[in-house]
Amino acid sequence: MITQKTGPLGPGDVYNTSPTEDEAGSEAFSQFVTCRVDGEEFAVDILSVQEIIRMVDITRVPKAPPFVEGVINLRGRIIPVLDLRRRLGIPDGERTAQSRIVVVTVRGRVVGLVVDSVSEVLRIPKSAMEPAPSLGSSIGAEFIQGVGRLEDRLLTLLDLKRLLLTADTAVMDAA
Amino acid sequence: MEDEMIEIRNDFLAETQEMLELLDQRFITLETDPNNTDLLNEIFRAMHSMKGSAGFLGFTRLVDVTHRAESILNKLRQGDMTVTPGVINVILETIDVVKLLMADIRESGTDQHVETDVMSNKLDLVLSLGNDPVLNKPSAGEPAKADAAASAPTLEPDEVQKPPLPSRLGEILVEKGAVSKEQVIEALDKQETKVPLGEILVKDGTISEQTLDAALQKQQQEKPTAKRADEDQTIRVETKRLDHVMNLVGELVLGRNRMIKIGGELEEKHENDPKVRELSETLAQLNLVTTDLQLAVMKTRMLPIRKALAKFPRMVRDLSQKINKQVRLELHGEETELDKSVADEIGDPLVHLVRNAIDHGIESPADRMAAGKPAEGVVRIAASQEGNSIVIRIEDDGRGMQVEKIKAKALSKGLIGEAELAAMDPREVLNLIFLPGFSTADVVSDISGRGVGMDVVRTNIRKINGTVELASEPGKGSLVTIKLPLTIAIIQALLVEVERAIFAIPLGSVLEAVKITKADIKTINGREVLNLRERVLPLFRMAEEFQMPVDPNLDKFYVVVVGLGERQIGVVVDRLRSQEEVVIKSMWDYLAAIKGIAGATITGEGKVVLILDIGELVQNVRSC
Repeated sequence: MITQKTGPLGPGDVYNTSPTEDEAGSEAFSQFVTCRVDGEEFAVDILSVQEIIRMVDITRVPKAPPFVEGVINLRGRIIPVLDLRRRLGIPDGERTAQSRIVVVTVRGRVVGLVVDSVSEVLRIPKSAMEPAPSLGSSIGAEFIQGVGRLEDRLLTLLDLKRLLLTADTAVMDAA
Repeated sequence: MEDEMIEIRNDFLAETQEMLELLDQRFITLETDPNNTDLLNEIFRAMHSMKGSAGFLGFTRLVDVTHRAESILNKLRQGDMTVTPGVINVILETIDVVKLLMADIRESGTDQHVETDVMSNKLDLVLSLGNDPVLNKPSAGEPAKADAAASAPTLEPDEVQKPPLPSRLGEILVEKGAVSKEQVIEALDKQETKVPLGEILVKDGTISEQTLDAALQKQQQEKPTAKRADEDQTIRVETKRLDHVMNLVGELVLGRNRMIKIGGELEEKHENDPKVRELSETLAQLNLVTTDLQLAVMKTRMLPIRKALAKFPRMVRDLSQKINKQVRLELHGEETELDKSVADEIGDPLVHLVRNAIDHGIESPADRMAAGKPAEGVVRIAASQEGNSIVIRIEDDGRGMQVEKIKAKALSKGLIGEAELAAMDPREVLNLIFLPGFSTADVVSDISGRGVGMDVVRTNIRKINGTVELASEPGKGSLVTIKLPLTIAIIQALLVEVERAIFAIPLGSVLEAVKITKADIKTINGREVLNLRERVLPLFRMAEEFQMPVDPNLDKFYVVVVGLGERQIGVVVDRLRSQEEVVIKSMWDYLAAIKGIAGATITGEGKVVLILDIGELVQNVRSC
């Protein structure tokens, strides 16, 4: 049921995510880019992902809310970058060679999300997705759209709209 | 020798240009005040000196035309002729021709491409006829065909310079010697209906039909050329497209800056590589072309400020009548060009300032007389280009402003503390009127608002990266100086370093930068200040404001003195980096609300650098 691309994803990777013949039409799927933050696996709807880039110099913006890491130059465009750890309330971690910026487009806005690493593109059958459990979710509950269960793995599906919407009001409050 | 001549010619062009603008206005004044001999003398002298310089530089056609105009002016000023709208029209037409000649000289270095015979003949006609009825009947149904043809194509009248009008039929016939001037006048008197002049003359047997045909043909010939020239000169383009081109050029400029930086580094590393040398040469070429392109694109967006000023004569007239004051408006430098977006934004602030000048500045005629001033007050708007800025001065000769009164008001409204006020010099006090919630009018009037005015003026001007400053002398008047950038998309900035972060400060607000040590910093009332040439300069620590870690061991600093009109502060930074041309890019809308940051840009190294909003920083220093 699951197509996996092996090895970590990096910049310049071409994803072949079209369904193979066996799977086509048999069931409804959604595709996600999965990434790791503090050992947990998060999934972002692939339709929102514009690209994945390596860490670049991030210009800090004074007085911005703490989870706003700063701004970067994306081919002549200046886009803000959020630290997913801070956004989700996870303690700061080290930046490594695996750290990536997932560039997403949400409601017409282009924003970068810093993650520990990007793993793969997953096809998750709709039947394997469940709404977020009301109890027991420790971190950033309000940004979680649901969970995806795949054999022994548990993926947290991120609600990007809320992730940024709340960022919006938070910045407004801070300003 | 060559260069010298070019320089002299350029001086001549610049001077004459100024003179022409002045003349345009003077003539319009003259029309309303025909017996003003001083004015006539002034106009005569201007025309005379123009003729003199033109003769010295060998511009024969210019001499021809100005000489004749001068002769007419001489007659006017000696009382041999009287000033009538007809005569003024002819002279204004002459000025238009002179403008065309000047344009030709500017372009080709000679004045031989503009036809002046028609104008000369017309002037001769005026000279020989004196105050004759032909001139006073400007549109009394003269050759109907000619008039209709001349006015039919609706060109942009204010943006395209008028070509010399085709001669009127009567003039052509007189010129050919076919009829006498008297006969033309006689025929014109008969011409009450729309009957063409030519037909009357033929009917009367004054001229033959062949003569008429030949004359009409000549008239026709003069028209089409003039029309075509106009059509070729202008093209209407959507502003949006220009904006797009401007943005692309902005990107190109950034790309170029990066390339030059990389090229420089390569050159250092591989000095002797011929390929690298080739690259440097190509880059130098690219650099030049990009700069030219940037300038050229900027120019396509430039408009004369005239458009923004056009509404003022009427406004001033209406306003002064309404409040029973006598006010004369003087406009200078209307041809000064500025970026369309700047021109669009500057209208409202100007209206406000002019209203203020009339309402609060200029006194009533009785008060003025009592103060020994002429009953008529003057409001002057003068625009000019000074280096990379456009400067607009709004001046009045009214009652001026009382520093003490402003102080009292600022205190009573709680806009400023007493200690702070005491430390301010009069100039700074004056500029307190730009603070939100300040109004100098004791009585609120419906003309200049309810105290929302001046701070809105400043906000609007800041929005386009401009500055505004007020100077005033009690009893003599006030002067508001607005300084605007030539363009708002690309600015010169000073890059500074604070705790390893780089910020850009718009160069327009930088007054100077000084190097200091820790010992130079003093404290007054717990606030850090710097004694700079007997001036106490409040200091602003960027690291503190922006909550950045501060290295306590740092002993040497730079202080960038920035000023926005009313106030100067010193911004403490660790290091000065460089001066760079930066393209302002808007920040992510979430972050746009952060105070003190105007936007961001990308440097030659590809780094994102935040641009400081000096206006907001200066304000913050006061409020804290």
